[in-house]
Amino acid sequence: MTEEWRLLLTGANTAAKNMAIDRAVLTTNSQGKVLPTVRFYEWIPPAISIGYFQSLSDEVDLKMCKKLGVDYVRRITGGGAVFHDNELTYSIVISEDHNEIPKNIIDSYGRICGAIIKGLKNLKIDCEYKPINDIITNGKKISGNAQTRKQKTVLQHGTVLMDVDIERMFSLLKVPNEKIRDKLISDVKERVTSINNCLGKDMSFIDVVEAMRNGFEEEFNIKLVKGTLTDEEIKLTEKFEKEYFGSKEWNHKR
Amino acid sequence: MNSKSVYKIPNGKLLKINLNYDKNTNKIKEVIITGDFFVHPEEAIELIEEKLLNVKLDKINLFETIQSVIDENKIELIGLDAEGLTNGILMCLK
Repeated sequence: MTEEWRLLLTGANTAAKNMAIDRAVLTTNSQGKVLPTVRFYEWIPPAISIGYFQSLSDEVDLKMCKKLGVDYVRRITGGGAVFHDNELTYSIVISEDHNEIPKNIIDSYGRICGAIIKGLKNLKIDCEYKPINDIITNGKKISGNAQTRKQKTVLQHGTVLMDVDIERMFSLLKVPNEKIRDKLISDVKERVTSINNCLGKDMSFIDVVEAMRNGFEEEFNIKLVKGTLTDEEIKLTEKFEKEYFGSKEWNHKR
Repeated sequence: MNSKSVYKIPNGKLLKINLNYDKNTNKIKEVIITGDFFVHPEEAIELIEEKLLNVKLDKINLFETIQSVIDENKIELIGLDAEGLTNGILMCLK
């Protein structure tokens, strides 16, 4: 019989709530209370997430965020700053001991990215995993990913770019030197793409979700069954939002 | 004395160091390690920073201190290593 995992479609939420939900599911799954979980989500308002080890004030122009109504949050995962707008974000939470998850961290990135790659192939976009944490198509990045392991449980989340506005992104991120801003923007334009760019047409979020859902089912030979957050997860989400992701102390800690 | 460096680790990630050191003794007073790398477990970065306090700013001392914290605590660095960290810290002196 095909193994069943939980599918969560939590819609669009604030940055703090999105990160709190991932953390809540990591907690309940690590306690064996919920199935391995795949979640698809969006961000309202658009937001910048920074990696656990990044300095918020070094990376993000907080004044510009305020002016443009863009949210920001520090993730529990490492990696770089991401501007979340016009993208599908996924997360997967699963025991480190699950037989489908390689023990080696880089190998497990590759395996989980395999689901996204199959999802993109379902949209007729040919792509490949590029270690450490990217998925590329025709040499350009279309997806960035980040993983943490806590309480013997893997959390990996990542983006699949649906559309990309590099100028807007760079107006929100600090650059080391204003003189090279234009050069940086043109470099990144050469290196980053999106689903809409690849296909030359706009895909709907729902269609991308469906493609990715199938990608996970094919990669892991499982069935994703639609579920909801448990009462405990909802409570944990509120707790983590208040104590971590919505707090100045957490977001400014580096 | 406060100093900063930005160092792209060869085949790795971008490392940014904020260093405060004593110019007379050449020892670290505070170091903050930031960047887009990965450390498992994440909290271990604070341990590395702590163990670097009062360490003399020369290549061998820095490398050995960092490598021994990594080994003793089974810390896994991705996109970063002891050599890269050492280089990033020493670049603050230039």
